Amino acid sequence: MIGITAFAAAIPAYRVARDTIAAAWESRSLGGRLAAHRFDEDSLTLAASAAADCLSTLPGKTAGGLYFASTTAPFLERLNAGLIAAFLDLPAGARTADFANSLRAGLFALGAATDAVAAGRSENILVAAADTRNAPAGGDEEQFYGDAAAAIAIGSANVLVEIVSRGGVSDDFLETVRRDRDDYVTSFASKFTSERGYAHGMAAAIRKNLQQAKLEPAQISRLVLSSPDKGAHLALAKKLGFQPAQVQDTAWDQLGVTGTAMPLLLLAAALENAEPGEYILVAAHGDGAGAMILRATDALAGYRPRAAFAQQLASAIEFRSYTKWRKSRDYLREQDDTLEVSNIWYAKEETQNVRLRGVECGHCGTRQLQHQLLCPKCRKTDAIKEVALARTGSVFTYAVDQLFPSPFPPTAMAVVDLDGGGRIYCEVVDCDPDKVQIGLPVELTIRRLKEGGGLHHYYWKCRPKRS
Amino acid sequence: MDASIRDKVAVIGVGCTKFGDLFDQNLADLMVEAATAACADAGVGLDEVDAAWLGTFSPGMNGGKATITLADALRFHGRPITRVENYCATGTDAFRNAVMAVASGQVKMALVLGAEKLKDRPVRGLQREGIHPLLEYGTTAPGMFALAANRYMNTYGVKRESLAKVAVKNHAAGALNPKAHFQMKVTEEQVLKAALIAYPFGLFDCCPTTDGAAAAIICSTETARALGKPLITVKGMGLAVRTGKPFLDPTCDYMGFPATQEASAQAYKAAGIKNPATEVSFAEVHDCFTWTELTNTEDLGFCKAGEGARFVEEGHSTIGGKLPVNPSGGLKSFGHPVGATGVRMVYEIVTQLREQAGPRQVKNARIGLAHNLGGPGAVSCVLLLGRDT
Repeated sequence: MIGITAFAAAIPAYRVARDTIAAAWESRSLGGRLAAHRFDEDSLTLAASAAADCLSTLPGKTAGGLYFASTTAPFLERLNAGLIAAFLDLPAGARTADFANSLRAGLFALGAATDAVAAGRSENILVAAADTRNAPAGGDEEQFYGDAAAAIAIGSANVLVEIVSRGGVSDDFLETVRRDRDDYVTSFASKFTSERGYAHGMAAAIRKNLQQAKLEPAQISRLVLSSPDKGAHLALAKKLGFQPAQVQDTAWDQLGVTGTAMPLLLLAAALENAEPGEYILVAAHGDGAGAMILRATDALAGYRPRAAFAQQLASAIEFRSYTKWRKSRDYLREQDDTLEVSNIWYAKEETQNVRLRGVECGHCGTRQLQHQLLCPKCRKTDAIKEVALARTGSVFTYAVDQLFPSPFPPTAMAVVDLDGGGRIYCEVVDCDPDKVQIGLPVELTIRRLKEGGGLHHYYWKCRPKRS
Repeated sequence: MDASIRDKVAVIGVGCTKFGDLFDQNLADLMVEAATAACADAGVGLDEVDAAWLGTFSPGMNGGKATITLADALRFHGRPITRVENYCATGTDAFRNAVMAVASGQVKMALVLGAEKLKDRPVRGLQREGIHPLLEYGTTAPGMFALAANRYMNTYGVKRESLAKVAVKNHAAGALNPKAHFQMKVTEEQVLKAALIAYPFGLFDCCPTTDGAAAAIICSTETARALGKPLITVKGMGLAVRTGKPFLDPTCDYMGFPATQEASAQAYKAAGIKNPATEVSFAEVHDCFTWTELTNTEDLGFCKAGEGARFVEEGHSTIGGKLPVNPSGGLKSFGHPVGATGVRMVYEIVTQLREQAGPRQVKNARIGLAHNLGGPGAVSCVLLLGRDT
């Protein structure tokens, strides 16, 4: 049996109200909010967060591979999946690949992962899909796109949700498009697009799967559909003979349209409430459409994702001004940094800075992040060995710095004592700086730090531990 | 042979520029001014000086590198020059090295010159240099000390009001000092209401970035006697270095600065001081931030651990108190041109020991202590100077 062995949603902590966007242009608000990334987040960091949560629920906390799917990958040459795999400290033999350029890329990745597992080439491949799409300022779509990620692991042992059928249709239909020279998505949204693009493709893919699985619409407990807007999916469901109650809420009011992440994100949300035996159909549009029918096993009843969808949905730090929301999206692109690094230095430090492996003294047990040939406590040099450090800890002390360069000062910095040993110094994010205090439990997460020398520079930050 | 440095080296001249926003003077100008003043005070010419020690942290674009900075500024040619850099302990460490050279007999008369131009930089505040771009990302001078302050205040239940009292005291002293960067008094309310820099530090909890230079002429005690100079001698010195990255070192508990404790222990031992609280007459300590002065008084043995707030609240560290701390106004109002500060402290201590401090004069000035702490918190240098008669 091949299927889903773990899943996780990653919704950024920030939101912007559509009213805020509309007020900036004196235009009509569509109501509700969009999920919005912080200035130090991008598709890679969101995907890494989802993948880390997913990984933490797998046996042995290890995976055989990491596939990254996005239309807004930060690197166009440098494997994003490879960097995420390094942050997850996956072994060198892990399969890594990027899937790109289509809102269906997440499903392509799921398909490839399924094929790899079925062929016995790997076990527990994490598929992480993320998007942080931008619409032209002041345009119609500016109130549409939200940022998010989700990760789904595919494996053949301890399967939570079996894959029953897969299939799709390819169609070079112009719906949303972005060239290499464009920062923003060009949208061909219209009634024509909705009917002949979205509905047409989705219907074909869904029917194909129902046929393959020999199921009727009424037998599907949850219909998980990506959607380009507030209601196209509801119209589609009705046309295909599904009831509104079967349709998974797309979170249009709370998150917006989340691109490549959307089908996996909504699937993760659906699976949190699915019961053993239920059939779930997930379908994604984009350059045609693809779908999968899944069946929940008994094992799903005992599974808990690391951070529940509803809990993440509720988290909300608001961008209260349009300017701040747009600045959070433009900041790192516009930053005039000059952090140039040599790849010799980078390679030498990867184990420490990226994989978060520190060292441990065999004599006194002291652990440290910095790789040092002698123990900071007992000074002995003959029993130092590499060790993976925990990614949770607590705040030992902190500072709230008004002057440190940031688009939105102040910057809360913390000295974090990691569980099991080791200490790291990093920014505290996703929380009000006034709430930082000694003893606060925190977890590490990857964020984008600076630009320069042809690179985006990533490093660890911490956020209050999610329960 | 007696290995202690006590009474082997004398300070026979000191000089100091005005400290402040010296926009019209460059580094070389400040060095000439300070060195000339020290030589005049000593009654010697620069050509009688055998060797020079330069303490400067970051000369910047015009300042040059290494010892050429001093050779060019003073046209001090054909003789040894050593450049010393040790974070905020640069000035005291330059002095310390010169003292050892004189005590060894290798150098007859030495110039110690501390100089810094911080205002010519394009960025606000003190720049962090030579740091790891990821592991040390987010470190600033105020932020680093704030980490320690927050842990301390949380442990001992100390409030911002206690810190503010240090600012009030040191600004009051600075107002009596024409060379100080700031000569204005501040009230506790002003300090508490000022804009935050890095909690718990507001604007008036932080020393300013300052330009300035100070110099000293030193020679052996025998030479000083032969020149008929009143004897102000080095009684003891110490230097200690600890980790520069306590935020990554799991063995650091952020309570007190061991470097200060160790450096001062070395200095007290050399000077034969057993109880600094009663045997040190006054001290110039490193109040880069108001909180730092609290912990300095504990680390230097003026009061017990955790009692730093009470020490300042009870008035013991005012000019008229039992152990005046920073009668010059301290880094807080005198300013902190990094490389110059330690030598400026020597200038103040010598002035006090000569009873020439006017309205800032401490009573019965016999032994003065200079303390620097930098790195942040990693390096400490302590000097003890005294007058026996």
